[in-house]
Amino acid sequence: MPDGLPNKTLIDLLERAGRHPEGGIRFLDRAERDRWVGWTEIRERAQGVCGGLRDLGIGHGERVALVFPTGLEFFEALFGTLLAGAVPVPLYPPVRLGRLDEYFRRTARMLEVSGARLVLADARVRRILGEAVAAACPLLGCRTVDEVRRTQDLNIGEAVRVDPSDLGLVQFSSGTTVEPKPVALSHRALVAQVEAINGSWQDTDGHRESGVSWLPLYHDMGLIGCVFSALDRDASLTLLGPEQFVARPALWLRAISRWKATISPAPNFAYALCLTRISDAEMEGVDLSSWHTALNGAEAVSPPVLRAFCERFARWGFRPEALTPVYGLSEAALAVTFSDPSSPFRSVRVERDALAREGLVREAEEGREIVSVGRPLPNFDLEIRDEGGRALPPDRVGRVWIQGPSLMDGYLNAPEATARALRDGWLDTGDLGFLRGGELYLTGRAKDVVILRGRNHAPEEIERSLEGVPGVRTGCAVAVSWMPELPEGNTEGERLVLLVEEARNASPQQLEALPEACREAVLGAVGLAVDEVVVLEPGTLPRTSSGKLRRQEALRLWLAGELQPPEPVTPLRMAGAVARSGLAYARYRWSRNG
Amino acid sequence: MMDATILEGIAQVAQEHLGWQGPLTADMRLVEDLRLDSVRLLTLASEVENRFRVLLDEADELAIETVGDLVAIVRRKLGA
Repeated sequence: MPDGLPNKTLIDLLERAGRHPEGGIRFLDRAERDRWVGWTEIRERAQGVCGGLRDLGIGHGERVALVFPTGLEFFEALFGTLLAGAVPVPLYPPVRLGRLDEYFRRTARMLEVSGARLVLADARVRRILGEAVAAACPLLGCRTVDEVRRTQDLNIGEAVRVDPSDLGLVQFSSGTTVEPKPVALSHRALVAQVEAINGSWQDTDGHRESGVSWLPLYHDMGLIGCVFSALDRDASLTLLGPEQFVARPALWLRAISRWKATISPAPNFAYALCLTRISDAEMEGVDLSSWHTALNGAEAVSPPVLRAFCERFARWGFRPEALTPVYGLSEAALAVTFSDPSSPFRSVRVERDALAREGLVREAEEGREIVSVGRPLPNFDLEIRDEGGRALPPDRVGRVWIQGPSLMDGYLNAPEATARALRDGWLDTGDLGFLRGGELYLTGRAKDVVILRGRNHAPEEIERSLEGVPGVRTGCAVAVSWMPELPEGNTEGERLVLLVEEARNASPQQLEALPEACREAVLGAVGLAVDEVVVLEPGTLPRTSSGKLRRQEALRLWLAGELQPPEPVTPLRMAGAVARSGLAYARYRWSRNG
Repeated sequence: MMDATILEGIAQVAQEHLGWQGPLTADMRLVEDLRLDSVRLLTLASEVENRFRVLLDEADELAIETVGDLVAIVRRKLGA
């Protein structure tokens, strides 16, 4: 074992927390009724499930998929699986009113790729899951916790020996059918991550930190960042479901106030949702002054949203220094950098052109504003490197590489994808940024991933839904997302943009209907609302020498107004192309400002 | 409650909570026509529940594709 790495497993954390009666989970329902379950009881309940899993023949290192809404059953299944020496694979339950065919395909694919032997689900989800389970046919099928649980003889006998280097969790970094990426994390990496996070706030004799979270438990920020970190400190955590938060965002802030929570994280979009969907009446009697760390991560952080949030909620005791932009990714088990939890967020304005064209950081009063996501956590290293892998000095944009005690073992059963991401103990995050004063500022992404509302989506999947749309040149469309610069007070998050080449033989009618048809196709197939469709002449999109579309380059060119067809260009034709791409951008700005 | 009244209520929910502008008709599909992503579908479901004081369950929701489907479920839940 390398020096300084924790020699503990999640089971050790559960055993320890189980001996502390004051820590546990408080579940809130939509009527704000609460139910408290201590770690001691969670451990006992998990033992029953563990016994049942053993009776079924689930063994050491085998994967068990978990599909639950936020609730006690998820915890019984999660810790039952861990106690059995098996590996939990949390997957998301179906969305209300959502399209099921797409959900089935994704879930079946994730079950297959994870190699799950058994699916545990709650009774309501199981009724819906049938088709996905049938397609993936895990050996032991799909069962509920009640069916699996041993009700007698809770003595599970000899504990399965689990080593810190054993697999502790499989997480999907994006729920896609094209190339699902199951991130494989060892117990050691998970424990190292929660110890690193918990080092940012210390309990004292007179004060214990406590959290509130509505984040999904199949997402790293909810499970690792909130649940495992509370477990590690034997602390208490109040949970509500993501659907409760979305239905009524005030429930989140009211819970923080009611239980005087000190730590609560959320992606940028959640802070924006609070601005638009919470009324003053719902905030009556709310006091947010206990909330000293409002982490903001999982997607790009927007300065106008942060400022608007501070301004609006100051009346109820919210403190600007609580806002804490952070950076992390599933491949590092979650957090990599934290900004200073006790000071207001920091940002820098930089010259747009120098940044976009040369990757140089020059301060400019009217420039693009970029938020600092802070410094690496203790024991993490961070380097900005050029495309050739050489380290760059401060104020130069490059790829963000990281090293630390909580990096993944790799993508499960995907050696090639793993080799692309991990080199000599360093992880290529695929994100772009620069260092300034030792702090990281993110400027964009080199990897192809669309991030909307804190969730990652594979662009291939969005693009595939455009196949067969009349007037689209086959295989010649890219999906990209970006965080626009927005006027103060505007609280939108990242925007989804399609850059689509028209077919050479497209009719005028088809071209006219193209943007609408593309929007409809994407929504129908993957459930995402497209913010902008840009129609391009054939051959306009940049490609690699082997003919693969270069998405991030296409985005960069489009934003710079330089996305033009490669044909021998007449001045008139060129002016037309520039006008078209400029027009799309101007239209977008106009529609946002208007 | 009449279908027209229920439709009117759903239209108000769409306007207030989803920013939907323009008319809402029974044949409109939630995903393709109203352009609702997962967060907005969730918002619609819970705001319709709040407004009509009904609880939708999974079995109902599986069958809902259009605004008209939603109207029919709400009517049934209201026992009208």
